[in-house]
Amino acid sequence: MIEVQNITKTFGTHKAVDNISFSIGRGENVVFLGTSGCGKTTLLKMINRLLEPDSGEISIGGHRIRDQRPEQLRKKIGYVFQNNGLFPHYSIEENIGIVPRLLGWDKQKIAARTAGLMEKLRLPPGQYRNAYPHELSGGQQQRVGIARALAANPPVLLMDEPFGALDPITRARVRKDFKELDELRSTTIVLVTHDVREAFELADRIFLMDKGVIIQQGTPDQLLFEPGGDYARDFFEEQRFQLEAARIGAADYPALIRAFDHFRKTVH
Amino acid sequence: MDQSDGLWQFMQQQSGKLLQQTVQHIGLTFISLLIAVLIGLPLGIYITRHRRAAGIVLGLAGVLQTIPSIALLGFMIPLLGIGPLPAITALFLYSLLPVIRNTYTGIDGVDPGVREAAVAMGMTGTQRLFRVDLVLAFPVIMAGIRTATVINVGVGTLAALVAAGGLGEFIFGGIALNNTNMILAGAIPAALLAIGLDFLLSRLQRLSGKGRVAALRVLPLVLLLLSSLYVLPLGYNSRLLAGFTPEFMGRRDGDIGLRSVYGLKIRTVVISDAVMYKAIFNGKLDVISGYSTDGRLKAYDLTVLDDDQKIFPPYYAAPVVRRNILQQYPELAPALNKLAGQINDSAMTALNYQVEYLHQPPEKCAHDFLLSHGLYHSPRNGRKGTIRLGSKIFPEQYILTEMYAELIRGYTDLQVESKTGLGGTKICFEALVNNQIDLYPEYTGTALLVILRPLPREAERLAANRDSVYRYVQDRFETFYDLEWLNPIGFNNAYALMMRRAQAQQLGIHTISDLTHYLKKDKL
Repeated sequence: MIEVQNITKTFGTHKAVDNISFSIGRGENVVFLGTSGCGKTTLLKMINRLLEPDSGEISIGGHRIRDQRPEQLRKKIGYVFQNNGLFPHYSIEENIGIVPRLLGWDKQKIAARTAGLMEKLRLPPGQYRNAYPHELSGGQQQRVGIARALAANPPVLLMDEPFGALDPITRARVRKDFKELDELRSTTIVLVTHDVREAFELADRIFLMDKGVIIQQGTPDQLLFEPGGDYARDFFEEQRFQLEAARIGAADYPALIRAFDHFRKTVH
Repeated sequence: MDQSDGLWQFMQQQSGKLLQQTVQHIGLTFISLLIAVLIGLPLGIYITRHRRAAGIVLGLAGVLQTIPSIALLGFMIPLLGIGPLPAITALFLYSLLPVIRNTYTGIDGVDPGVREAAVAMGMTGTQRLFRVDLVLAFPVIMAGIRTATVINVGVGTLAALVAAGGLGEFIFGGIALNNTNMILAGAIPAALLAIGLDFLLSRLQRLSGKGRVAALRVLPLVLLLLSSLYVLPLGYNSRLLAGFTPEFMGRRDGDIGLRSVYGLKIRTVVISDAVMYKAIFNGKLDVISGYSTDGRLKAYDLTVLDDDQKIFPPYYAAPVVRRNILQQYPELAPALNKLAGQINDSAMTALNYQVEYLHQPPEKCAHDFLLSHGLYHSPRNGRKGTIRLGSKIFPEQYILTEMYAELIRGYTDLQVESKTGLGGTKICFEALVNNQIDLYPEYTGTALLVILRPLPREAERLAANRDSVYRYVQDRFETFYDLEWLNPIGFNNAYALMMRRAQAQQLGIHTISDLTHYLKKDKL
């Protein structure tokens, strides 16, 4: 679905993204994981042309994105921001309906779509349809941000630290409701985060990034149990026990004991 | 009578004029605001997208803002003449900076996260501008428009100085006539207008959501509507156009007398005397009010219309001296009287012309004049005492004072100390009464109408005759103030109506009555 070849982006003398290539399949959920400044957000913004690469090529669905008008391209790509980026002067309903309106959907279709998404994201339309963003809690605002990104059924969804600004409890709730959306089954998701547990919970595949390059890619299990070097090993070390326990599940006792032993060894 | 009582009566009497001026003022304010928004808003938007131009544009607009308003109007006259055009242009230039700056600051202040989201959702530049940037910057932009409106209401009062009407007509007329009610009749509505518009716009500024979008659509229409209120200050529809100073407009021995005594009906605009002469010279005006010995009469080749019905009281100049000084130095009066009867109207006009237009120093003019009339005596450098000379702040007074200084030094053993440029009549007179100066040249008409202020009927009776005014002021000054009027110098610096010499000759107009007849005939 998304093909990235030899992408490089430099800010001044700083190489934010250094000759990266990868491909993502249709409907796949991938997470770019790394510390702040590793280049993951820059990479994300180049996919919908918020930033232009210095060199390299990106195509979506077999079409090179630089051959398309940026506005047309972006309407087919949902985007969720860490700080929601809601329009303060638009009601919740209007915020969610922005892209459908730009695409010229008729009013009834937009209203139905908006109400449907609000229901699924636990924002009762009767109560919140005409509310304004500042009247909502942080978690609710982020739910609106997600609904807005998905409103026009984009085949691709880009998410930039979407739950990063929320407190842990709210974060878990929003993430749970997000995961249950049936819209996501056919959507290709690219999410960037520094939160290891979030990556493990949402990803089919994780790209671990550092200093503008991909250190390792693979399924969560591969990254956890077959780390490809010191950086990958260190990155997960702090939360290894919890992660491993979560991966394995409480039923698999031998594996759990193995994980616990491993944890004890690293602690002592 | 109580002051506020008088004000209310004045406003009632003048309600027609007051309404007309207020409507003009609103129109003037908004027509220039409209232009400022039409140009400033796009310019403000442009510089948010071309940052490099921002410094230059804001800098230029800022420089315009620092030009004093009177000076800006002054610059406009040679380029745009008189009337609404220079006034609107000046107001427009003043309102430009707040509009540009607040548009720039407002859009610049929109949350970058929101702007990025708008881009990320596929909005085009135009869509972002109208659906996000302008709507979110609306309160800041409105604040700029508010500032511009209040500035325009204030500076708009100066429009009266270039014949563009507005509430300034009352304000400047009142200042010139020392008529507090008249000043307030212009100033209070202007202040209320500023406060009222500021309040209304502040309500608009606080609108949110749908109201804001609606306001964005309706506002241009409202601006357009208010702008159309500006109708040119029209009076009678005559072929000739008169320009009178605000002071002249309100005086009995001015416009009021012209109407009641001569029955003169002429289309009139109000204008400051600083630009009036140039305007008549350029053919923008045909008749002006002025002073009969003004040097500009000669400079612009104007002719004075004869006041055949005698509505302008005589303004003969003569030195006014403290009596105790005359007694202390008996030789002083003869020395000062050397000048009596020596300078007629045209001679004084010529002297004023030399100083005002040829920029010769007043001392030199005074010296040359005395020399050519055989009045000059080289200084005796005596040490008997010191005479303090005062003068008002215009060239004619400087010239006269210099002449008296030379006469005193040449014919007596007294020293002279000059205190020139003592502002207006009030200041000179107070200085004299309070023993700060010993003498200054004064005019009989001024002494009568500004200092003594007899009842109107008495003033009218006196006005017709040169000698009766002189005797009246001489008598009263001696009785009340212990001051003595010496003999008149000769010329009469009175109010006068003036026309271009060529036009007056062509139309056969020599007197004010001729002018009245011509206008009546013209109308038929």
